[in-house]
Amino acid sequence: MNDMTAPKPIDPPYAFEQYRSTHKRSPKEPLLALPAGALDIPGPLVPAGFIRDGDNDLTIHGKSMPLGERMFLEGRVVDCDGRPVRRSLVEIWQANASGRYHHPGDTHDAPLDPNFEGIGRTLTDDEGRYRFVTIKPGSYPWPNHAYAWRPQHIHFSLLGNAPVQRLVTQMYFPGDPLLDIDPIYNSVPDPEARKRMICRLDLRTGRENYALGYQFDIVLEGAKSTPMGL
Amino acid sequence: MAGRTPSQTIGPYYRFGLRWPEGGNVGFAASGKKIVITGRVFDGAGALVDDALIETWQRDPANAFPAPASGSANPHGFGRSDTLNGGAYRIETLMPGGSPPSIEVTILARGLLKALRTRVYLAAEADVRADPLLAAVAASPRVKTLIATPAGGNEYRWDVRFQGEGETIFFAF
Repeated sequence: MNDMTAPKPIDPPYAFEQYRSTHKRSPKEPLLALPAGALDIPGPLVPAGFIRDGDNDLTIHGKSMPLGERMFLEGRVVDCDGRPVRRSLVEIWQANASGRYHHPGDTHDAPLDPNFEGIGRTLTDDEGRYRFVTIKPGSYPWPNHAYAWRPQHIHFSLLGNAPVQRLVTQMYFPGDPLLDIDPIYNSVPDPEARKRMICRLDLRTGRENYALGYQFDIVLEGAKSTPMGL
Repeated sequence: MAGRTPSQTIGPYYRFGLRWPEGGNVGFAASGKKIVITGRVFDGAGALVDDALIETWQRDPANAFPAPASGSANPHGFGRSDTLNGGAYRIETLMPGGSPPSIEVTILARGLLKALRTRVYLAAEADVRADPLLAAVAASPRVKTLIATPAGGNEYRWDVRFQGEGETIFFAF
């Protein structure tokens, strides 16, 4: 390799001009670099009973089905070396099919769906796999700049098995024309890394005449220390 | 080697997705000295940040990583408090072991494209400055931003400032 250019960082910077909310919330002082391995410690263990039956199905908590395109969403959580991140907590939240969150702070004038709260959680299995049943979220306007609309997305929170693995991200959908002009998506400097946040349409992950299927694998930092037994 | 998935902001609407019942009440199998840490989160303009999420992770009073919880309990040693109530958080926990005792802190919020990582110490300033983890800043006045202030009884106060005067020391993780 003769390429002398440094690889682009994977994560966005704290200060990102086009995303207005970063202006007063990004640290100005340099971050403190810690001695190597100083925080390479195991993380919290989530008991299996923390997840109740149905927590990974966002479509069954109303009196009837929510509006929207029903979808099965499956994937694996692995670390950078390809090792499964086992029995770790995955939490998701999202807007309904109209692009409205079940949240008092969301004042967008799109209808709430009484059959959709838009929250789910699950634990990965021993291979790092997870699965959700949900509906495809809608896009919605936001006040960042003129004519700003967020691409369709599902928020993901991953506890991982060590503090270095803790990740909050957003999953986007292939072919969304709003991706090109979204400051949050484009805050990731490397276009190749950005694409890792886009799920893949896989009809066989779905069910014929019932649900679309999407695959979304998530790659966390490698961890030297994980809890006993994981 | 697969490339890591990038971080994105938690956004303003995490409330129902990530808020746990009793999330700020940290459980342990072990017993020990009960403490309460409260504080507020400020942005660079001095405004309260009322949509942040504070997560804590710590060793138990015997300085061991906590034994697993059972049943449907929240994970032991791990706390989660939002600041939806006017920018204030509250963590009820046990004094961690170790010298000087400290708690790892992760902060998520709208406008943070990746988590802020820091640590709060429950110890005297001289002991904190002697922690090898802080060797690079041992003489800096900013070390005080990592130290909780005793507030009477079993209570401690610790505020977080994202930016500007009194900016908290955050870690490159």
